[in-house]
Amino acid sequence: MIDNSKEWNWFKGGILVSLLSVVTYFIFAAIADRNYPFGITAGFGYIAALFGNLFGGLSENPVIKRFSDKPDAFIEFFILIGLVIGGYTASKSSGTFASENIPAVWEKYHGKSLVKRYVFVLIGSVLLGYGAALASGCTTGNILQGWAHLSLGSIIAGIAFFAAGIITAKILYPKVGRQQ
Amino acid sequence: MTLINIIFGLSVGFLFGFILTRTGITKYPRVMGMLLLKDFKILKFMLTAVISSMILFHLLGDFGLLKVVPKNLDWGKLVGGLIFGTGMGILGYCPGTMAARIGEGKKEAIFALFGMALGILIYALTIKPVKETFLSSEINGDIFIQLGVNKWLIIIPAAIIFSAIIYFVNKNFSDNKKIF
Repeated sequence: MIDNSKEWNWFKGGILVSLLSVVTYFIFAAIADRNYPFGITAGFGYIAALFGNLFGGLSENPVIKRFSDKPDAFIEFFILIGLVIGGYTASKSSGTFASENIPAVWEKYHGKSLVKRYVFVLIGSVLLGYGAALASGCTTGNILQGWAHLSLGSIIAGIAFFAAGIITAKILYPKVGRQQ
Repeated sequence: MTLINIIFGLSVGFLFGFILTRTGITKYPRVMGMLLLKDFKILKFMLTAVISSMILFHLLGDFGLLKVVPKNLDWGKLVGGLIFGTGMGILGYCPGTMAARIGEGKKEAIFALFGMALGILIYALTIKPVKETFLSSEINGDIFIQLGVNKWLIIIPAAIIFSAIIYFVNKNFSDNKKIF
């Protein structure tokens, strides 16, 4: 069903991400005066701040202020754009680019309805944004970086990601794996 | 300088997105397969990156070349982490892979991007009560200070435990088994 034959193995991918983190740390420290490798959440925060400033009159809100004033959120916004270009280039060059509305696995278990899936996507993505903001970081900031730093806050956040994710997945796909 | 920030952000994002897509970390069945405890490629990828970064960052820190600043522990990490994990289970991807998926031609990820920004906006609107409830007290996130031991006495056992987990799941679960 999915073609995995062209994927890099996990070891290669993992080592490359780790090297990228170290290099990024030094450049971030030099140009944005912060002691942290790359994250993703602040990039979304930058978009939220754009909307907040434009329509909500939220310029005095501390969260909006943090994401619009600090240079690292501006940089992470461009990390987001870079991720899109990177995903495009990697999928095109390896022949895995595929236009798709909703995931095929979802369709198989939950039906073809776009409305239904998009309702779930809306709920899921709002929770993702709210949770990442409250936990001050997503999988990248709290696990790939935070676990490597052995930060107590990140260790707890990462465990919570998995605990809630595992329960949610089990509710959405209760029968998967039972027959095997 | 703004231009340097933009180029830096785009480059980091491009490389990270390329690695994520090329390694297959962005695939919906892989993320759901991990949360259903059937496909552990993502876990192996993450723990490899964590082990390597953990050793590199603390080694470079010992040489005085960088300073690791751990994230403090507060209730937001746990509660935010659970909210985030629920969102990740519903979506089947996290913020970084969401952006890379847009580049791969997955249309719903564009919708999710705005949903995530909306989630952060809602967080900004609720910051006052949230701050009082979850972020009013925090404890230092530095595990070495908290436990009062030499950091390598934690780093080395952590690396061994993570490696053992990788070894165990790699031995018992194939990366290419059909799950769904």
